[in-house]
Amino acid sequence: MTRTEFWQGNTACAEGALAAGCNFFGGYPITPSTEVAELMAAKLPKKGGVFIQMEDEIASMASIIGASWTGARAMTATSGPGFSLMMENIGFAAMTETPCVVVNVQRGGPSTGQPTMSAQGDMMQVRFGSHGDYAVIALSPATVQEMFELTAKAFNLADKYRTPVFLMADETVGHMREKILVPDSVEKIGRKPFVPGTPPFKVTDPDLIPGFPTFGTGQHVHVTGLTHDERGYPAATNPPLHAALVKRLVDKIENARDEMADYDIVNPDAEQVFVAYGGPVRTVMQVMHDKKDTNIGFLRIRTVWPFPEKAFAKFKNAQRFLVPEMNLGQIAREIQRHVKVPVVPIPKLGGELHTPAELVKVLEGKA
Amino acid sequence: MSYDEWFRTDRLPHIYCAGCGNGTIINCTLAAVDQMGWKKEDTVFVSGIGCSSRAPGYILTDSLHTTHGRALAFATGVKMAKPAFNVVVFTGDGDLAAIGGNHFIHACRRNIDMTVVCMNNQIYGMTGGQGSPTTPLKCLSSTTPYGCTEPPFDLCELATAAGANYVARWTSYHVKELEKAVKVGLETPGFSFIEVLVQCPTAFGRRNKFRQVMDHVEFLKSHSLLKAKRDRLLDQGQPIPEDLFVVGELTKRNRPAMGVKP
Amino acid sequence: MKLAIDENRCKGCNLCTKVCPYKIFREGKKLNRKGVAVPELDRPERCTNCRLRNLYGRQLCGVCQLTCPDQAIHWVEEEPYEPHKVAIEY
Repeated sequence: MTRTEFWQGNTACAEGALAAGCNFFGGYPITPSTEVAELMAAKLPKKGGVFIQMEDEIASMASIIGASWTGARAMTATSGPGFSLMMENIGFAAMTETPCVVVNVQRGGPSTGQPTMSAQGDMMQVRFGSHGDYAVIALSPATVQEMFELTAKAFNLADKYRTPVFLMADETVGHMREKILVPDSVEKIGRKPFVPGTPPFKVTDPDLIPGFPTFGTGQHVHVTGLTHDERGYPAATNPPLHAALVKRLVDKIENARDEMADYDIVNPDAEQVFVAYGGPVRTVMQVMHDKKDTNIGFLRIRTVWPFPEKAFAKFKNAQRFLVPEMNLGQIAREIQRHVKVPVVPIPKLGGELHTPAELVKVLEGKA
Repeated sequence: MSYDEWFRTDRLPHIYCAGCGNGTIINCTLAAVDQMGWKKEDTVFVSGIGCSSRAPGYILTDSLHTTHGRALAFATGVKMAKPAFNVVVFTGDGDLAAIGGNHFIHACRRNIDMTVVCMNNQIYGMTGGQGSPTTPLKCLSSTTPYGCTEPPFDLCELATAAGANYVARWTSYHVKELEKAVKVGLETPGFSFIEVLVQCPTAFGRRNKFRQVMDHVEFLKSHSLLKAKRDRLLDQGQPIPEDLFVVGELTKRNRPAMGVKP
Repeated sequence: MKLAIDENRCKGCNLCTKVCPYKIFREGKKLNRKGVAVPELDRPERCTNCRLRNLYGRQLCGVCQLTCPDQAIHWVEEEPYEPHKVAIEY
């Protein structure tokens, strides 16, 4: 059963989180994500959850990690400048394998940039922002419906893979209002249960995911950002142990990239293929609708990281990949690594979506 | 000692230097925790980075060893998500007052129901002896080789001004009083802040003319001025010597607190 | 009860020697296997906890144990018929 609503993207994001059972939000207001925090402030306490406005984004990220260890489904919402601040603690969440959801409603950057205009400038930062090697899961919604669904999915992915999951929205999708079909309930996949008495960070399953020893269940787990051994104790001067730990953290996500990949393919036999995620998807959809040409393909990506490299092989006749992005080609660069044909980045800075005419110009080679 | 069961005995002896005051503080804190009758499952220790913050790694409860300065933010998340937990935070002077200054004043303002034990050795011990915001004037450290020129913080005054419910200061010499003070802090709802001045023989003592561990402890003992005596001196209109610091229970009040166990 | 110093944990800082109100320790002279000069019991008969813990049924004094940074001090029951010096109480 679904009901029809007319919601703002940020509203859908918060409602998706609530539907997924989010019960802790620690955030700091920043345009254009403030509406998520405001809605959570209004609705979470009524559902028995906790909303707390922390003193800065660093504390926001810290508080959701702390809450996650008590068993709560925790999230925060921010934008570019706050995202940069959160990087150290994102690394901590990755190292300690703490499930949490971070929503980044991207805005014009760098620095204070364009608080009320759209961009997709954090796509590389979400993957490589914190120091050291680690892997992340990043989802990219293009419609208000996807803001709802992908936020709910983010909690499941976070709990399943025990990692921070990022919802890389942009101000366009965050602030637009659109029709959405709201389901009555969403599927919930919880954390892997912990076998009491075993070392907390020992992994025996092939999916490389350890069970989650929630605080307060008598497991006495020591969680540290230092390189740790199976028992969780610091072991920072042990080279093979560190190498194995970091490799496991990365492989845990990267090995599952095929099962996590979420994309739509239109016209797989086309020669000119658009690749888009987030806001530009809407422009490409308009072009596809106008042109109705089966020689124009479209790869619409929802899981940007881990990168769905196998999707490109499905376009067997592709001659060019056209990548409209609201940045200077961050994901186009990643696509280039995986395909042999030319990749044409169509960057657009300034805060507005591409117009269909601009995309058609590139398509017809007149750009 | 009945608080021996709170230690991860498989990890002792610990990494602290010989004569480090931090070991003493851990003993006093655990003795107080033991007296409260808390269960290990319901207690969470949180710490930042530094010598002080290695302490939870040696305590047999759930513990979070977090990033530098952010211990209070993590502890806020833990406590607000599950107020039934008893949260104790170990930090150091640099972790709390330098990088963690913002989180410190906000935790005091919110008056979250947790207890913070700050092991103030007036230096950055773990990383080799750099100056900290509480290094006294003219003291030597590796980043103040010509003597510290910055006036130090008075952490207890900061905590009181920001709104903590219970503020006390003791030294690693006053073990019995410290144990009692920590116990009162654990019992008091709201933010309890106990600053403990400790000796760091390796980083601070070695550079500042405390050749033996006990010299520094003697210094802490002789330069501590009991609050009652300070109040008496003030009443009598006598001046208080500059180089003494006040010890004792400095603030105890009943401001509304957040996250108190229901 | 008698006081025992755990040689595995003691790091030879001698804080116990200095803080004991009854001055029952003295600094060790011999280095043990770890290279640490563990303090020795000079006048153990003056230790209040050793003498009176069983009489009062609770821990007395204990400043050395609280102060020891390495958690190396604890009290153990003595074997029966183990000889030890006794301080005369008037």
